[in-house]
Amino acid sequence: MSHIACTHCNLTFSEEVLIKEEVQGETLYFCCKGCQGVYHLLNAEGLGTFYDKLGDTQLQPASETSKSNSDLEKFDLEGFKNKYIKNHEDDLCEIHLIIEGIHCSACVWLNEKVLHKTDGIMEASINYTNNKAKIAWDPHSVKLSHIIQTIRSIGYNAYPYDPALQEERAIATQKTYYTRILVAVFGSMNIMWLAIAHYAGYFSGIEQSYKNILNVAQFILATPVLFYSGWIFFRGAYYGYKNNIVNMDTLVASGALLAYIYSIYAMATQGGEVYFDSVVMIITFVLVGKYLEVLSKKQAVDTLDNIMGSTPTEVTTVNKGIKALVSVENIIIGDTIELKPGERVVIDGVVHSGAASFDESSLTGENEPIYKQKGDSILSGSLCLDSVVMYEANKDISSSLLTSIVNLLEVSMSKKPRIEQLANTISGYFSTTILVIALFTFAGWYFFMGNFEQALIIGISVIVIACPCALGLATPMATLVGISIAAKRGILFKEAGFLESMAKSDVLFLDKTGTITEGKPSVKLAHIQEGFDASLLYALVSTSNHPIAKGIVNYLSHNYEHIPIILLEKIQSIDARGLSAIHDSHVLLGGNVSLLKENGIDDIHISSEHSLFFFSIDNKVVAYFELSDTIRKNAADSIDAIKKMGVEIVMLTGDHEKSAQKVASQVGISQVYSKLLPQDKANIIDKYQKQGLVTVMVGDGINDAVALALSDISIAMGNGADIAIDLSDVVLLDDKIDSLQEAYILSRRTYRGIKENLGFSLLYNVIAVPLAVMGFVNPLIAALSMSLSSLVVVGNSLRIKNLKFKEKS
Amino acid sequence: MSEDIVILMIGVSTFLGALGLLALIWAVKTGQFDDHSKFIDAVKHDNEEDLRDAAMMAEKKAAHKKRIKELERKKCMPAD
Repeated sequence: MSHIACTHCNLTFSEEVLIKEEVQGETLYFCCKGCQGVYHLLNAEGLGTFYDKLGDTQLQPASETSKSNSDLEKFDLEGFKNKYIKNHEDDLCEIHLIIEGIHCSACVWLNEKVLHKTDGIMEASINYTNNKAKIAWDPHSVKLSHIIQTIRSIGYNAYPYDPALQEERAIATQKTYYTRILVAVFGSMNIMWLAIAHYAGYFSGIEQSYKNILNVAQFILATPVLFYSGWIFFRGAYYGYKNNIVNMDTLVASGALLAYIYSIYAMATQGGEVYFDSVVMIITFVLVGKYLEVLSKKQAVDTLDNIMGSTPTEVTTVNKGIKALVSVENIIIGDTIELKPGERVVIDGVVHSGAASFDESSLTGENEPIYKQKGDSILSGSLCLDSVVMYEANKDISSSLLTSIVNLLEVSMSKKPRIEQLANTISGYFSTTILVIALFTFAGWYFFMGNFEQALIIGISVIVIACPCALGLATPMATLVGISIAAKRGILFKEAGFLESMAKSDVLFLDKTGTITEGKPSVKLAHIQEGFDASLLYALVSTSNHPIAKGIVNYLSHNYEHIPIILLEKIQSIDARGLSAIHDSHVLLGGNVSLLKENGIDDIHISSEHSLFFFSIDNKVVAYFELSDTIRKNAADSIDAIKKMGVEIVMLTGDHEKSAQKVASQVGISQVYSKLLPQDKANIIDKYQKQGLVTVMVGDGINDAVALALSDISIAMGNGADIAIDLSDVVLLDDKIDSLQEAYILSRRTYRGIKENLGFSLLYNVIAVPLAVMGFVNPLIAALSMSLSSLVVVGNSLRIKNLKFKEKS
Repeated sequence: MSEDIVILMIGVSTFLGALGLLALIWAVKTGQFDDHSKFIDAVKHDNEEDLRDAAMMAEKKAAHKKRIKELERKKCMPAD
C-alpha cells in the first residue's frame, strides 16, 4: 500500500484510510475531517498561500472543531476577565495568550493573518520564538470567546497566561541589559578609534594640545560606559562588600574605576598616558558574558507560563443539583466539584461519588493510572482520564498542591545556590592582594624617593602587569575544552561553570521512573494460546493511550510483520480495567483480571510480579502478557563506577516502597526514599545541602522540577518533560546512564585542568609582580611574558582532549 | 590643521553616532528586539499583501478612535 501525505498537515498515512476529494481536477487527500475543514476555510478566506509557505513542515492534525468548543463560554466569564484581561483607557481590551500547535513561521503568519481579518481586533502580534501572542480588541464588536474560536477553527489552540507573574520582569531585565550593552559598545568603538590616533601619536610624536583634545573626547565617552553600563558591577561589588565577599564584580569595578581615576589624573596633569580604552573594554566584555546568562533564565520563565496557562480557571460546582461554573479563586472548602474526563484537577479534594482512573504522572512520575473511588483523595495536577467524578474540595486554590508547586518553582529558580567557583575565589583573593601590594609599592616609592608621580605610575604598573590575563584564561579555557568534548558525547552543559560544580559534588540523587528505568512498560513475557489473532489485538490496543496498551502495540509491531488493519465496532474503554470491542459479532476484551471477572471469566489463576494484560475473544482467553518497566542498559555498571569515585548515591521516587526497593537492589543503590511528592524530593535535597554537601539531581519529569531547580547541579534526560530540561544545568541527550558516568569523569578531569592552570598563572604572577614592584618593568618583556603564560594555559587545557572513553553500546 | 577642526570633527561624528545610538535604544524600549526569530523568519512572508494588511489594521484603529470620540461627544451633550 502506498503512503500519501495529508494536504493540510503533511503527515503521511496509507492511502485507504485517507479522505479523498476532487477539486478542479486535482485529487486532495485528508487524514481527518478537521484537516479537510481547515483546508477549505483557508482557501475560502484567500489564505491558500499558507501551504506554499509551509513547505514540508508537518502539522498536528486539526481536531474536529465541534468537539473542543464546549468550554468556550468560560472565556466570557467575569472571573476570567478579572484574572487575565487588561482594560485600556481607549475602550480596548488586551490579553496575552499562548498559541498551541505552532510548528514554523508559516503558522505564525497564518494566525496573525486570520486574527487581523477578524472584525474588532485592533492589534495581534505573535512572538516567533515562544509562540506567545498579545491581542487587543474592541469588546463591543467581538467577544473573546469568538477570538479563541477563530484560532481553534484553523487548527490551533490558545490559552491565556498572566505576564505579570514572571515575564514582565524577565523582559525588563533583558531590555536594560540590551541598553547597557548598546551604550558600552558605542563607547568602546568610538574610544578605540580615538585611541588609534593616540597610539600613532605615541610613536611618531604628537603635540600636547591635540593630545588634550583626544583625552577629553575619550573621557566624555568613557564616563557613561563606566557609570551607566558598569552600574551592574558597582551594585554587585557593593552587595559583596556588605556580605564581606570579594567577588568578580569587585575585581571588575575596582579595576575599571582605578584605571579611570588614574586616567583623569593623567589628563589633568597633562603627563602620562590615559587608559580610558581599557576601562570600556573590561566593562563591555564582562557585560556581554553576563547578558548570556540572563537570556537562558528567560527560557525557563516561558515554560512556567505554559504550565500555569494550561490549568483551568473555572471549575464546575454542583450545589443542590444546580451546576455552575465558578472561578477557582471562589472555591471554598466543602464545595462539591464535578470533574469530567480529560480535565485537570486544580483543587485538592476527596471523591464522594463516581470512580475514575487518574493520571498522576506529573506528581509522582509513574505512568500507570491510579483508580480512585469514594473516599479516595485526589491531588491537583493529576488528570482525570475516563469518567465523571464528584468530589468535595478540602483545600482552596492557594493551598492546593499544583499552586504550591508552581510557587515553589518560582522561588527556587531565583534562589538556586551557586557554588563558589574556584577561579572566582582565587581571583578575589588575588585582586585584594594585588591592590594591597600596589598601595604599599606606591607608599614605599613615595616615602623613599619623594616623587609622587613616579610612585603613582609604578603603583599602577603593578596592577597592569598583574592584570590576571593567564588567571582569567585558566578556567574558561579548560571548561571550553571540557564542554566541547561533552557535547560530542551527547552531554550538554548549559554553562561552563557547571563542569566545575559537578566535579565537587558529594551526593547524587536519582529519580527512578524515566531515569534509572525506561519509564514505560514493555512486554517481558508473552503467553500465546490457540485462536490468537495479532491483528485483532493490534486494532484493539491501538485505540488507547494507556501506557500498557502502548507497550503491547510496541511489542506487536516489533514481533509481527504486516499486521492488516481491521476496523472494530463499539470500542469502549472501561474505567481502569481495559478495553472492549466487537468484531464480526465476536466480543473482544483486553485488560486486567477484574475486567475478565466482570465478564464472567472466573477460572484465572495466574499471578505475576509484573502487570498482566489479558486478551480474550468470546470470553476465551487467547493470550496474556506480562509487562514491566525495564531498567536502562548498563545502569548497574555505571552506578557502581560513580560510587567508586566517592559519590554517595540516593534514589528518590514517587513509586511504592516495594517496586522502589526492587529496582534499587538490582542497580545496587542502598539509600532509597519512596512515595515522595515533588516537594518531598526537594526537602530531602535541601536537608543534604544544609549539611554542606554539594548535590546533583537527575530527573526527567514535571514531578522532579522542584528538586531540579533546587539542587546545586541538575541533570535532565533528553526525552524528559520540557520543564525539566529547561530547569536543568546539564542535559543527557542520548538518555543513557553511561553518559552520566562520562559527565562525572569529564567534569573531574576538567577541574584538574583548571587547578593546574591556576597554579601556573599564580606562579607567573609571583615572579612578575615583584619585578614590577621594584620598578623593572620593561613594556616589551611584560608583553612577551604575558602572551607566553597565556599559551601555556591554552596548551595545558587542550590536554583534556586526550581523555579516553569506552565505546557506548 | 588647527585644534578647532579636530574638535569639530570629533564632535560632529560622535554626535551623529549618538543619534544612531538613541534610535537603537528607542527601538529596544519599544520592544522591537523582543523577538529574535522574527528578524529571520518574518522576512520570508513580507510582501505587498502584508503592507495592505497593515494599512487595513491602521484603518480599523482609526475607525475605532473616531467612534470613541463620537460616543464621548454624545455623552457631553445633554440628552433631550
